[in-house]
Amino acid sequence: MGSQLLANRLKDRNYYYVWVGVFFLIIISILLSLYFSARQIDYTWRWYRIPKYFAYQEQVEITSETDGEVESISKKGKEAVVRIKGLEGVESHAVPASALVVEEGDQIYYGDRLAAYKKWRVGILMQGLWLTLKVSIIAIVFGILIGLFTGIARISSNPALKWSAITYIELIRGSPLLVQIFIWYFVLGTLLNNLLATHGIDQIPALWFGVAALACFTGAYVAEMVRAGIQSIHRGQTEAARSLGMTYVKSMQHVILPQALRRILPPLAGQFISLIKDSSLLGIIAIRELTKATREVVTTSLQPFELWFVCALLYLVLTFSLSMLLQYLERRQFAV
Amino acid sequence: MIDVKNISKTFKGHSTEVKALVNVTAKVDKGEVVVVLGPSGSGKSTFIRCLNYLNVADEGSIVIDGIDILDPKTDINKVRAEVGMVFQSFNLFPHKTVLENVTLAPMVVRKKSKEDAKKKGMELLEKVGILDKADVYPDQLSGGQQQRVAIARALAMEPKVMLFDEPTSALDPEMVGEVLDVMKNLAREGMTMVVVSHEMGFAREVADRVVFMDEGAVVEVGTPEHFFTNPTHERTKLFLSQIL
Repeated sequence: MGSQLLANRLKDRNYYYVWVGVFFLIIISILLSLYFSARQIDYTWRWYRIPKYFAYQEQVEITSETDGEVESISKKGKEAVVRIKGLEGVESHAVPASALVVEEGDQIYYGDRLAAYKKWRVGILMQGLWLTLKVSIIAIVFGILIGLFTGIARISSNPALKWSAITYIELIRGSPLLVQIFIWYFVLGTLLNNLLATHGIDQIPALWFGVAALACFTGAYVAEMVRAGIQSIHRGQTEAARSLGMTYVKSMQHVILPQALRRILPPLAGQFISLIKDSSLLGIIAIRELTKATREVVTTSLQPFELWFVCALLYLVLTFSLSMLLQYLERRQFAV
Repeated sequence: MIDVKNISKTFKGHSTEVKALVNVTAKVDKGEVVVVLGPSGSGKSTFIRCLNYLNVADEGSIVIDGIDILDPKTDINKVRAEVGMVFQSFNLFPHKTVLENVTLAPMVVRKKSKEDAKKKGMELLEKVGILDKADVYPDQLSGGQQQRVAIARALAMEPKVMLFDEPTSALDPEMVGEVLDVMKNLAREGMTMVVVSHEMGFAREVADRVVFMDEGAVVEVGTPEHFFTNPTHERTKLFLSQIL
């Protein structure tokens, strides 16, 4: 009996390792087939070209704008001020002390280098990543606000509030985000910017129409979650709060919403992850977020394979961090 | 203190109509303990919920401490602040600690400072014998403990009347006593109380008057003595024979 159990367990354990092996086999064969099919079309992988799109060193040169002699170099910490006495007076340049290539008394001609150094610059992919992050965060914040308000309006007994909320939710959920972005940019954007132009006010950049499209899109989904969250809280909670003399608003604020939001945190997380990914659509209205940035880099570097993998990986970094953050919040909230 | 005249209430479903209250008239004086008895479905819960406007009576009048609560001009939140309510299912706020449950309404509704609310809250928790659980969350308490917290929560508003809607019906039998003890103490201190209950012992011991309801109507009103030993109505006799 005992040996039978042991044999079973061994068998189970072997099975387990066999299937772990199968998993890795699948992964490796996918990678290999990718590699060999790339070789079929003579694709050369150049991963070393990728880092410069995150950050690169730029050569900076400071040159003289006059002919003359270096009168003095005064150093103050890491900064040095070079004074050049020319025919038409004295010219001074502030340069990093370590980058100096002239000395006091040197004869200088117009265009000569006074200092040369390298400076780190943020690459286009990094800029795109930052923009994606920025757009997503703003859209999430507004999406939550819109969703909260609409979700509460959705269950209101006031028909104006309720029907407005339903109309908004159904319109947004019933049409593709891509179309909504076009409407925001080409229709509402044109109307609004024309209106602003006639009053001599500055134009609103495309970015904000993109953010508005994302926020309104997310808001509709968040609203439905908020509604479901509120309705999932037992009626006794409202009754208890109201019976203590709290107004509707106070009971929502202190009793119902804190519980409802806790409950909808997991689906909210999913919605926000979708939003980060959907922000890739904003490239079509000339917002240079991560996907658009990648497309631009692909056309200049001609390394599409590496770049698209990197692009996907960067999205994964964003979505994964967000999901970790929300999981942390969830755990902390439920820790009693 | 409470003056109810001829209230009726009908619940309308899609195809059904349930007459929960039919022409109910009742009176509760200051300092009095009134226990409402009756078989299930007799409308006693609807009656007590009407007193707090959780159900709205279709007709009649309900005057609490001089204020007609069915008058559309009445600010019901002000009345509710003076009327404590204890529910069958406790309805504690699960996201708040025991102490926070008790201090929330005084702070939000009465605008008390946190310190004052806390001080009063601790006093009340001590009174209901649950001071050591002040910082735990309700789901870690037994049913009896939860109901005692719910009583403390209602008392924190310093109400003029306490309404109890079957406060012991959801409890395990061994926990009924601790909740009833708290209620008995309250009664002894002179609190005006309306209690919907199945606890005959409590009614007999504590009630000043017993109201017996059946099929949405008040059948008989009297002292516990009269009610339990010498009921007049056949329906009351039948009920007592079933329950005792």
